[in-house]
Amino acid sequence: MKKAEIVSLISRILVGGVFIYAGFLKISAPVEEFAYAIESYKIFSYKISLLSAYFMPWFELYLGVFILTGVYIRFFSIISIMTFLAFEFFLIQAIIRKLPITNCGCFGSSHSNSIYTEFSLNFIWIILSFISLLYGKFLSIDLWLERKVVNEK
Amino acid sequence: MMNKLHWKKILVMFFLMFFATLIVIFLRESDITQIPQSPQYREKGPDSAKIKVIEFSDFGCPACAMANKYLNEILNVYKNNIQISFKYFPLTNIHPNSFSAAMYAECAGKQEKFWEFGNVLFENQEKWLQSQESEKIFMNYAMQLKLDIQSMEKCVKDKEIEKIIKLDMSYGDLKKVDATPTFFVNNKRAVGAMQVIESIKKAIAINNI
Repeated sequence: MKKAEIVSLISRILVGGVFIYAGFLKISAPVEEFAYAIESYKIFSYKISLLSAYFMPWFELYLGVFILTGVYIRFFSIISIMTFLAFEFFLIQAIIRKLPITNCGCFGSSHSNSIYTEFSLNFIWIILSFISLLYGKFLSIDLWLERKVVNEK
Repeated sequence: MMNKLHWKKILVMFFLMFFATLIVIFLRESDITQIPQSPQYREKGPDSAKIKVIEFSDFGCPACAMANKYLNEILNVYKNNIQISFKYFPLTNIHPNSFSAAMYAECAGKQEKFWEFGNVLFENQEKWLQSQESEKIFMNYAMQLKLDIQSMEKCVKDKEIEKIIKLDMSYGDLKKVDATPTFFVNNKRAVGAMQVIESIKKAIAINNI
């Protein structure tokens, strides 16, 4: 077992875990709560915020599951990086515009951090997603299925 | 070979999505959702209280007015051991003025007079419940309680206040509240004044208060 493989496995567990946790907390709360959080970034109208609030938690949940289990790991690592970059865009525009957001809404209303904390944390998630992208096949469904198909042949 | 591999991966993805959805829906339905705390001005009693009561109530509902009276009496006796947290659940289809009553109460809360305003609303229910001039009546109550009227006028038009009330209602929906008043006494559901008093009595006995 190489060091890179262990680090990548830990990265997958952390990135997958954070997506699952964030998605689950939002699904467990009323959809309006997350919709209000999205609306507070003042980019989308309430209707689009509400639509995103229905869709986004499930997207996060599935993305987390795919990264954690390692299915199409390279593809979903790229999606993960793009997602975090999109979050960074939302946060930085809120910081620049000095929007009065005390709670980022990332983990529902009761578990969320300030936008500054979340902005910093997202950098860590981006780095971990990069590690998954480069070395993420260890103990993954991808590797297991590839070996299975080769053996069948 | 590649084709077969892709199909297998896609199949696995569907299985994962199916099980993840199933688990999340099961957890969501199994009542694990925690109701967030109300702002301090909508709470009565100390944070250290052993009995925590969350009340989903409608200022226009007569049963809520009765429950409010009983709860006030109980609180007078056990004020150090019970904490009440108020959540809005106006039944707007049968009490159309209740939503705006909740708005005024929330604005009164912003001026630290939520409970006083709430009591006035409950005590005078018949006067405003069906009135065409309910807003005027609410403003009169605000004057009686010596609230800052200018702030009040601005506050009741604020969309953010509307959101606060709608969010409470959404939490009520999520917890399957379908009648008012509904209480959660240390997370156990009680509907109506009689049930909540029984639940509080049980909690008092359990906690040796």
